[in-house]
Amino acid sequence: MQQREEKQLEAFLESLVARVAHLKGSLQSFIYKLENEYDRLTWPSVLDNFALISGQLNTINKLLRNEKTPSYKSQVIIPLLLSPDRDEELAKLTEHRVPVFSHEIVPDHLRTKPDPEVEEQEKHLSAEAARIGPEVAQKQIQALNKLCSNLLEKLNNPREDRDSETSALRQNKPSFNPADTNALVAAVGFGKGLSKCRPPGPVAPGHPGQPMMQTGPTLQQVTIAGASGHQAGMSGPVAPQQPGQPGKIPSNIKTNIKSASMHPYNR
Amino acid sequence: MEAPPVTVMPVTGGTINMMEYLLQGSVLDQSLESLLHRLRGLCDNMEPESFADHELVYLLKGQQGNPFILRARRSLLDPSVPWHLRYLGQPEVGDKSRHALVRNCVDVAASHSLPDFLNEMGFRMDHEFVAKGQVFRKGVMKVVVSKLSRVLVPGNTDNTEPLSLSYLVELSVLAPAGQDTVSEDMRSFAEQLKPLVHLEKIDPKRLM
Repeated sequence: MQQREEKQLEAFLESLVARVAHLKGSLQSFIYKLENEYDRLTWPSVLDNFALISGQLNTINKLLRNEKTPSYKSQVIIPLLLSPDRDEELAKLTEHRVPVFSHEIVPDHLRTKPDPEVEEQEKHLSAEAARIGPEVAQKQIQALNKLCSNLLEKLNNPREDRDSETSALRQNKPSFNPADTNALVAAVGFGKGLSKCRPPGPVAPGHPGQPMMQTGPTLQQVTIAGASGHQAGMSGPVAPQQPGQPGKIPSNIKTNIKSASMHPYNR
Repeated sequence: MEAPPVTVMPVTGGTINMMEYLLQGSVLDQSLESLLHRLRGLCDNMEPESFADHELVYLLKGQQGNPFILRARRSLLDPSVPWHLRYLGQPEVGDKSRHALVRNCVDVAASHSLPDFLNEMGFRMDHEFVAKGQVFRKGVMKVVVSKLSRVLVPGNTDNTEPLSLSYLVELSVLAPAGQDTVSEDMRSFAEQLKPLVHLEKIDPKRLM
């Protein structure tokens, strides 16, 4: 069991190192281009590099968030050898960033405690905490707990971040409006807010007993819609129809009134 | 004689039954440049395509049930290109494990006599709008950023009025039914656009 975990850890570590190496290569290549080929570097090429780096970062993020990834936090790193002499192998391995692994380097690279400045601040805070009374401490504890719960609630509900009041408080410029989103989606989805083409009229009951009356206005309505659609779509065919227009205008008006009063189509 | 109501799905001869996976959002006018800048960096094509389309939504009312809806679209930039006819099915929100809205999608090209043809079949134009914006692509994903305008005089696309102070952002993928990995990829891409745009699956029924 422990052996399997060790193998798993090694495999994931190798995978992570490989991906980080890819990312580093991309960054080095991009920096080289910026420094040496800036005169013939094109905008699409720069964007390609950004897209590549973005993709590689996403890949690393996916690997780290994978459930099967063992927790790196529980691992311990112990130096096996400390020496003030220059280590060529180490220098080569770290690309000459860490040529010596001596006693003065260990605190910087393998530190497990906070920085001395932070420790000093912590001592100061502890002394200050000892001075205040238990009642004040209790009040501050409650206030802090309240703040933490509010913060957790906001983190767990990202939608609240879109509240205009919160945005104003944070003085962040909002880049979208949820009301506009809903209005636009409704307009595209089923035409909410877009003007209707049908003439408004009173709702008249149908005449089931007279089927001929129903079909007549429908055909005429179709004709009217066809005419308007025809004019809207093309301008060429309008010219041949000019001789017939004087005769059609009165009939259009008449039919429109008739259909509006008798058979308006409501959704 | 009125056309009989259409009660069955349209025949899709020779093609797979395609589904459209969709995420929608919006961005304020003043943040449009930031979004376009980011999309240019994340998407495949470096030069996004601009479009200005006039969409007319046609209705065929049956004797019972919901009316049959067809969407006809024509380009205002290039009047010589064919019309675009689309049928969109009822959107399915699904559960939380599915990250995108899914709906049936059948679209074909049509000639310029499409409006006359639809009117002869008994369709009536219910509403229309003008959409202007840009199209981006990333693999199989399509990102459309468009400004929607209301047509004030029916049929006259020169006289329009913007619907809101925002641009509509749509992320969509066309794929056969059952491709649930598609919505995963869409979700990942949508994450990269935050906090500029929050692309979500929005149920139109909830907005009625």
